[in-house]
Amino acid sequence: MAVSLITYATVVFPLHGGDVRAPSAVFDQIFEVFLLLGTAVGVVVVAYTMYHALKYRDDGAGTDPYADKVERPEMGEMPTGGAGGRKVFYSFSISAIIVVSLIAWTYSQLLYIEQGPDLAQEEALEIDVEGYRFGWDFVYPNGHTTNTLYVPQDRVVRLQVTATDVFHNFGIPELRVKTDAVPGQYTSAWFTANETGTYAAKCYELCGSGHSLMTTDVVVMPQDEYEEWYAETNETDAGGNETATAAETDQRITAEATALGGAPA
Amino acid sequence: MSQEHEHGLPPKSSVSRWFLTTNHKDIGVLYLITALFFLVFGGVLALLFRLELISSGADLLGSMGYNQAVSTHGLLMVFWFISPFAFGFANYIVPLQIGADDLAFPRLNALSYWLYLFSGILMGVSFFQGTTFAGGWTMYAPLNTPAYIPGEGLGATSVVLALIMFTAAVTLGSVNFLTTMYRMRAEGLRMRDIPIFSLSINLTVWMMLFAFAALLAALMILASDHILGTTYFQYSIDGTTMATDADNPGASLLWAHLFWFFGHPEVYIVFFPALGVMAECFQTFTGRRLVGRKWFIISMVLVALQSFVVWMHHMFLTGINLPIKTIFMATTIGISLPFDLMVFSLIYTMAKGRVRFTTPFLFSLGALILFIIGGITGVFLGAIVLDYQFRGTYWVVAHFHYVMVAGATALFGGLYYWYPKITGKMYNETLGKIQFGVYFLGFNLLYFPMFIAWETPRRVFVYPDGLQIWHSMATAGGFILGASFLIMFYNLFMSLWRGEDVGPNPWEYATSAEWAVSSPPPLENFPGVPSYATGKLEFLDDETVTERTERAPGAAAHGHAATDGGTATDGGAVTARAAATATAMEPAHETAGEEHASHASFWPFLVSLGGFIAFLGLSGVRTGSVFYLSLAAVGGVATFGSLVGMTREPFHAPEMAIAERWPFERVEKMKLGMWTFLASDIVLFGAFIGSYAFVRVAYGWTAWHHDLIPAEHVTMPGLINTYLLLTSSFLVVLAMVAAERESKRGTVAALVGTFALGVGFLINKGLEWQHLFHISTEAFPNGWGLSTNIASSTFYLTTGLHGAHVTIGLIICAYMTIRAWNGAYQGDDRAIEYFGLYWHFVDIVWLFLFPLFYIL
Repeated sequence: MAVSLITYATVVFPLHGGDVRAPSAVFDQIFEVFLLLGTAVGVVVVAYTMYHALKYRDDGAGTDPYADKVERPEMGEMPTGGAGGRKVFYSFSISAIIVVSLIAWTYSQLLYIEQGPDLAQEEALEIDVEGYRFGWDFVYPNGHTTNTLYVPQDRVVRLQVTATDVFHNFGIPELRVKTDAVPGQYTSAWFTANETGTYAAKCYELCGSGHSLMTTDVVVMPQDEYEEWYAETNETDAGGNETATAAETDQRITAEATALGGAPA
Repeated sequence: MSQEHEHGLPPKSSVSRWFLTTNHKDIGVLYLITALFFLVFGGVLALLFRLELISSGADLLGSMGYNQAVSTHGLLMVFWFISPFAFGFANYIVPLQIGADDLAFPRLNALSYWLYLFSGILMGVSFFQGTTFAGGWTMYAPLNTPAYIPGEGLGATSVVLALIMFTAAVTLGSVNFLTTMYRMRAEGLRMRDIPIFSLSINLTVWMMLFAFAALLAALMILASDHILGTTYFQYSIDGTTMATDADNPGASLLWAHLFWFFGHPEVYIVFFPALGVMAECFQTFTGRRLVGRKWFIISMVLVALQSFVVWMHHMFLTGINLPIKTIFMATTIGISLPFDLMVFSLIYTMAKGRVRFTTPFLFSLGALILFIIGGITGVFLGAIVLDYQFRGTYWVVAHFHYVMVAGATALFGGLYYWYPKITGKMYNETLGKIQFGVYFLGFNLLYFPMFIAWETPRRVFVYPDGLQIWHSMATAGGFILGASFLIMFYNLFMSLWRGEDVGPNPWEYATSAEWAVSSPPPLENFPGVPSYATGKLEFLDDETVTERTERAPGAAAHGHAATDGGTATDGGAVTARAAATATAMEPAHETAGEEHASHASFWPFLVSLGGFIAFLGLSGVRTGSVFYLSLAAVGGVATFGSLVGMTREPFHAPEMAIAERWPFERVEKMKLGMWTFLASDIVLFGAFIGSYAFVRVAYGWTAWHHDLIPAEHVTMPGLINTYLLLTSSFLVVLAMVAAERESKRGTVAALVGTFALGVGFLINKGLEWQHLFHISTEAFPNGWGLSTNIASSTFYLTTGLHGAHVTIGLIICAYMTIRAWNGAYQGDDRAIEYFGLYWHFVDIVWLFLFPLFYIL
């Protein structure tokens, strides 16, 4: 069964043709709304604060313009609250409605991000990702292992992510996919890229001296090119002809770090 | 003020005073100065890596240097600067605000301070042991274990031990503050009536009591992994790397859970005192009472409670399932809402006020604005879809600096607010305002560009060229922020000599009691016994107090029940022993406010110095170096000797003759101290037991027993020990009864019995362990030691922690036996009761450990 699936996957790519909503689109939309509203709320509240501070500024003349309206606190009095609690509640309620409705709105999108698209006939490409100090192994369904992630355009890619030494975090910022790489555990994430090109994958959890340089390329290829590439990996071996060992990656990182003036221990 | 008047305490100009003092105001000053030192320490580290970040690449510090700088900057600022800075004010101001003459256990307070200082020194020493800790302030596992620390890693071990020492200081402080606030309020001051700063400290110490106990568990386990070789945080125990089928698949997440269970309440632990300062300054400088005070307080209480159920929002990407994510999303949003209310309450407090833009008010208002920005950007993180992408980026860095450093901003306002009270001098207001301007500019130039450059991953020194402009701006902002402190230090330092003298109250509309006494206040704080019974602060003279305490027998009883107070030592374990030194009855006038309270003790300093030497030794014992081994031995002996010295030193900290004590009227302070200490101990053991359950579930509950535990690990030794402990608990009760009946022989016999059963417990355990260490079977050819597997690690460490509790109990028991032999406790069994509380607790813990580690 597994073999037939792999054959199927290598021969016929079930593609969504770009009609799947990419995680990056979901993120961009929510982020935009939040930025807009957040800025608006921030400006209003800060302005409102400053308005109060300046309007009720003491004129220094020594007279109290509100002497007949409010009672000033006195030395040694038992602490009590001032009047005006109702206004606090109105303002609080407005802010609570904004916050709760915003988050509730994002929740449906979260469900989509969590579960991924539900496509009939769609076989996602499943790739295992293993993080180590300081690089990544990508294991394809046929067992082929690479250090660069090659994926086809317009196809849902599901990642199973783990780590073999310390806690890492695998993220491709431009494609808005990210998940923790925890030794001994698997986490999953999915993405789809609608445009070909080379993206960067980065480690987002401090993992030691080479952490800053723990980046790799993500190459999104046109479907036919990917098909060709994948067929070749299937023919050659299942062991991974371009896999760098951890030690080699370490050396690479050391060389890069030295070039940058660092001295990783 | 004559030396005689200071009850044996040397004058402030004498250096020796600062080593001897147990007075809360002196200790408050020590905290403030020390915390400012650590601000500079952490700040210089920040400037170093901001310099590094002017351009991409690690050309200044090197990659490990960079990692060390960011890690220790975080640790120093969070642990050694911001909370201790707030607790400098708490020490100085809270007793004054609530009408107490000192904290409940003054020597314990001094001990907290010295432990804090020495823990910071140990942190500093770690820089000279090769490399210091470089795994981030969150210290994720397994990067925090020796296997992944370059070199010998002794510096990292020192940091872990320094954190343990710091946590000890915090726990003692929490016990002390809680006891003080529930037993020593001025008459008429209900809990809800205490000034808002004191209230914020009350809630802060409640959170500290529990959150730091969880951290202590995490740190003890980590220290054990470093020093004893247990394998809690190593997922692959034989050193090979593997992705699945790990020996301990729960290792990484265990740390994350323990750390964040502490880490999230810690956010509020840091922020609450700042909120308290803001509220105080807003009230004073607007001339308005806090609007919606009741709701402000309720909001704080809600946040304090809820802070313990939001920690998993730091772990949304670790693969936790959707229902749990949803719950934690809801609690996270829920905990943000009370802050909205508090912000609006502060804003409306200004309405119809007479707002005066003094330096402390500028800082408070600035803090409010920064906090609003920090809060709004926090809501972004509450949306999980956004949180996923913000994880590990500068968005998080910018957000929490806008929150945490907004808190620090309010605290600097507090420094300007209370400086005249503490020193009796006024600073230069113009320079204060200039500092605020420079500070506010530097702050925003430093942190706001981080929002724009948010795509930069945290803790890296490489970033795309397009972001360089923002990082350079941030670096410039960092230096401007740093420079503003030079103005502050200059201003405050020069004003000690040049400042104008101030009277009791330099601020119009200040109301709380610290402003009703001279600046600085006298040693005993108040001219009489403070009381709010009439609804307004009054000071009762001695005659009134004597009259009232004599008329009300209940009150007098309180007075004498409390005379043993000051003999407390290290937070509970030895408090029982301390109670043993209680003197029976005090003359009536002692209860009436004329007593000679003690204010000086050298022991807290010595205990902490001993602890420092011992911990420094412990950091290197795994190398087998004679130097480190001898340090550990010398330090251990010094600590123990100083603790004994402290216990035997006569020290008076009388309870107040008249005080508001709801809801603990009937729980005298030593007992209340013991209760609060045990409450934190419950969380400590809870975290150990939880850790055991977590790693076992991650491994597979039943496979664990089958794969990891030898058949030689039988139930019988545990069963025998259960009986031994239960019987010994019964004997403690008999000792109490005998003491009550004034039977010296009975008391001694029962205590000796308790001691013998406890020793029997330890011997039995020792035999069991010896046997297990040296078994040689097919499955375990080299014995079943601490490092054999995760099951052996959990077994030895958890029951070992319990064994350590038994050992401490036995030391106290031996001490009490000797005292009973000399005739103590007859007719007054309270000391035995407090020891009993501890002993029964240790017993109950065993009733949980026995089934978990022997049966299931």
